[in-house]
Amino acid sequence: MEVVHNKDTQTQSPTTKPSKSLSPWAMARRKFMRNKLAMISLVYLIILSILSFLAPFITTADVTLVNIGQMSLAPSAEHWFGTDTSGRDVFTRLLYGGRVSLFVGLSCTTIILFIGTLVGSIAGYFGGTVDNLLMRFTDFMLNFPFLVFVIVLNAILFGIVSGLWVLIGVLSILGWGGVARLVRSKILAEKENEYILAAISIGCKPSKVIMKHLLPNVLTTVIVQATILFAGMIVAESGLSYLGFGVPQEVPSWGNMLSASQQPNVLQNMPWVWVPPALILIMTILSINFIGEGIKEALNPKSFR
Amino acid sequence: MSITENKSTKTQNLLEVKDLKMHFPVKGGFFRRTIGNVKAVDGVTFDIKKGETLGLVGESGCGKSTTGRSILRLLNPSAGSVIFDDQDITNVNGKKLRDIRKDIQMVFQDPYASLNPMQMVGNIVSEPIKNYYKNKKEEEMKEEVMELLNKVGLPEDAYYKYAHEFSGGQRQRIGIARALALRPKLIIADEPVSALDVSVQSQVLNLLNELQDEFDLTYLFIAHDLSVVKHMSDRIGVMYLGNVVEVADKHSIYKDPLHPYTQALISAVPDASNFGQKRERIVLQGDVPSPENPPSGCPFHTRCPKAMDKCSSIKPQLKEVKPGQHVACILYD
Repeated sequence: MEVVHNKDTQTQSPTTKPSKSLSPWAMARRKFMRNKLAMISLVYLIILSILSFLAPFITTADVTLVNIGQMSLAPSAEHWFGTDTSGRDVFTRLLYGGRVSLFVGLSCTTIILFIGTLVGSIAGYFGGTVDNLLMRFTDFMLNFPFLVFVIVLNAILFGIVSGLWVLIGVLSILGWGGVARLVRSKILAEKENEYILAAISIGCKPSKVIMKHLLPNVLTTVIVQATILFAGMIVAESGLSYLGFGVPQEVPSWGNMLSASQQPNVLQNMPWVWVPPALILIMTILSINFIGEGIKEALNPKSFR
Repeated sequence: MSITENKSTKTQNLLEVKDLKMHFPVKGGFFRRTIGNVKAVDGVTFDIKKGETLGLVGESGCGKSTTGRSILRLLNPSAGSVIFDDQDITNVNGKKLRDIRKDIQMVFQDPYASLNPMQMVGNIVSEPIKNYYKNKKEEEMKEEVMELLNKVGLPEDAYYKYAHEFSGGQRQRIGIARALALRPKLIIADEPVSALDVSVQSQVLNLLNELQDEFDLTYLFIAHDLSVVKHMSDRIGVMYLGNVVEVADKHSIYKDPLHPYTQALISAVPDASNFGQKRERIVLQGDVPSPENPPSGCPFHTRCPKAMDKCSSIKPQLKEVKPGQHVACILYD
């Protein structure tokens, strides 16, 4: 009975719905949706982004306002996470700090991916002298002393360009080397496939061969790398801000908030000042990494979920 | 003189390959200097008449595929010339090269690697049309692609599927449809069936034969399987170590091979018609020499059962020994 029934539905299905096949991307999306850890991380990240984005509407307190009358208050109904040594509301700063940290992370990642993919794909596809020139330049950038460069640039550009943009610029300029190398190596491997020869023989220009045939096939690696970069850039921003070379002091960011714990008094007696940013930072990095792992798994044709 | 020659061949030859050489530099040492050349193709000469199929056979590594790729200029030949439709295409570049590729298309060896895994079959087949006819309407193009899929024996709903959903034979049909999309004059088929099952091989070969009649195609058919080449070709060129040693129509090659290498090759073909009888079998000694350091004189003299002293010093050129049968061997000088 059931077998007959099955047969019926099978023969009917092509007529009832157009038999359009799942693209490799759609299949990856399905796999990703089934990965609980990655989905939870994604939800957490989305909520965090929304909260940060809507910060001005959620809290009414002025983030930069120094209030001497309310210094170092413990958490209460009025100040959920207390106030810091300058009397600023920690919860408000946490939300605004998320804005800055996520923005820096996202824009650095975008710029790095753009430059890295461009340089890497051109070097990998054309090879020869072009490859040599571009890769030696990449090596040069990779060998740049990062911290020194940041400090010097910050000193030179202080007051001319907003400190936030200096940081984004420096992180991006010094960060694309790894991506360029990765993309180049992937392209080198991928271009040996016959479908690239086929693309050339059916009259595709080099730009089209790279954009339509090579990049979609190396994108999986790039996307996974992007998540790692995103997390890394947030950490870099926090680290530099902690040291005092990141975003300017008055701009709230998670790293800046953490730098308050440099004072022994705060570290010992006022955990509400530095624990929330530390926790949020850790959770954000973790969730980004889980998402990256999930994407990697979803894009791997050999994994079944 | 060359002008008159051209005129006389104008109606006949679609493709002329003259003394084509493709040497790949070998780099080594600390400064990556060129320390040698792999002579993959070392002076190949043949021509293909309009509407015929020239089969190119030879063992692995003898330069068949490299020859095919150099003709389409996927590789830039080191020397020699390729004349297609009375136009020297050896050194054209840019837009002109793209225009020529419209007339020469290729079917690739590996049906699993020659289709982009990220593209729908419809897009794979329509891409060549999109590249050359930018103003074509979407609907027209789709109709054309559907027709092509039909012609190569694929169902219409293949349009929306991805290459990984098809079997090897079907994938090769997709590759053939892509090569046909521009209505080329010449198709270079680079071992199109060597990756397929024997049962599927014959289907694809028959398809190629049908399409040849329907679209007035000329084939350069590269293969290492002698029976496949015999089935497909009008004339056959035999390659050894980057050289064409014999070109003749297929009956002459099979009935009366002249070059010692061709004789050995033909004698190796299993024949079911005289099953049980002892056949005379020429077994070659030794291995194919390295193309990086080919033997002097005749490339085959190191393994040739009929080699003479002068074979190692004189490199024989292709000569018409019998009508239509060209052989490069000192025996027939």
